[in-house]
Amino acid sequence: MRPPPRGAAQLSFDGRAVYAGGAGPGRRFMVDARCLDGGEPVRDAYAHVCALPEADASLEFDQPEIQQVRRDVLAWWIPLLGDALVCLTTLAIDESRYGGAITVTREPVAWSDDPFARIFPGCVLRTGLFSTVLPPPGPVLERYAGVAWPGGAF
Amino acid sequence: MTAATVSLEPGQRFPDLDLPDHTHRRRRLSELAGGDPLALLFSRGWWCPKEQRHLREVTAAQSEFEVAYARIVVVSIDRPEVQSAFRAGLGARFAFLSDGDRVWMDRLGLLEETDTKHRPYRPAAFTLHPDLTIHAAYDGYWYWGRPTVEDLRQDMRAISRHVREDFRQ
Repeated sequence: MRPPPRGAAQLSFDGRAVYAGGAGPGRRFMVDARCLDGGEPVRDAYAHVCALPEADASLEFDQPEIQQVRRDVLAWWIPLLGDALVCLTTLAIDESRYGGAITVTREPVAWSDDPFARIFPGCVLRTGLFSTVLPPPGPVLERYAGVAWPGGAF
Repeated sequence: MTAATVSLEPGQRFPDLDLPDHTHRRRRLSELAGGDPLALLFSRGWWCPKEQRHLREVTAAQSEFEVAYARIVVVSIDRPEVQSAFRAGLGARFAFLSDGDRVWMDRLGLLEETDTKHRPYRPAAFTLHPDLTIHAAYDGYWYWGRPTVEDLRQDMRAISRHVREDFRQ
């Protein structure tokens, strides 16, 4: 994988744990960098990782179902999570492919409602990697190729 | 209309409102703009049929705003939990800001003086550059004074043309 563009950071997932940076085991993704370097990490958080470790599990970001998931996240998933939300990010494979998403919370929530789980099934992990990031007010599509939604700015 | 302590004329900078959103999170207007053109709508409240009608129209246009990298923000005196329910009913995905304590109302001079029961915001609307410079101002006290979706579309186009370096005619 090429070095992440500005606004993105690398993360890997082996089906059991997530690792910051590009040196961890498992499949590598690009995430919204603010989730990993946005401040003091939240200890003992819950990460709902909706991704598969297999390398061929991906879709185009522009697929209608990926667009609709993000609409649902803005419309009701973020309000439903309330103060429990730490951050969320999609998992980008490259400039155009979606590999999944992570929603991080301070406490267990109704994971079965996670819109991202409609694309790839989720698993819940305990982690201390992620920082608190204010949830996005929009838009529903990524700004720059390779910068995982909702990261990036013009 | 009450006397404002700030000018809300085109070319002036709109105050960087600091208010809780519909999820109770403290937000700044500049952060919600996030580098994009912004339609800022002041609303009487969920109970007003005119607001319900206008916001349904704006909500119908939100998909266009989203793919065009433009934002919509609504401000009212409704409490966040009320805004959240109203927003869900509309099917809106944009942010609502709650000024239940009317902390910005006097400074903005936007008290709806003829509604002495609710003392809501006057339904004014502004289209803003990403740095909150006012592009256009609308007074929706009379319904026809509000920006139509086409008005907003034209304003977003004009602002985008100004702020996006690679925007071509």
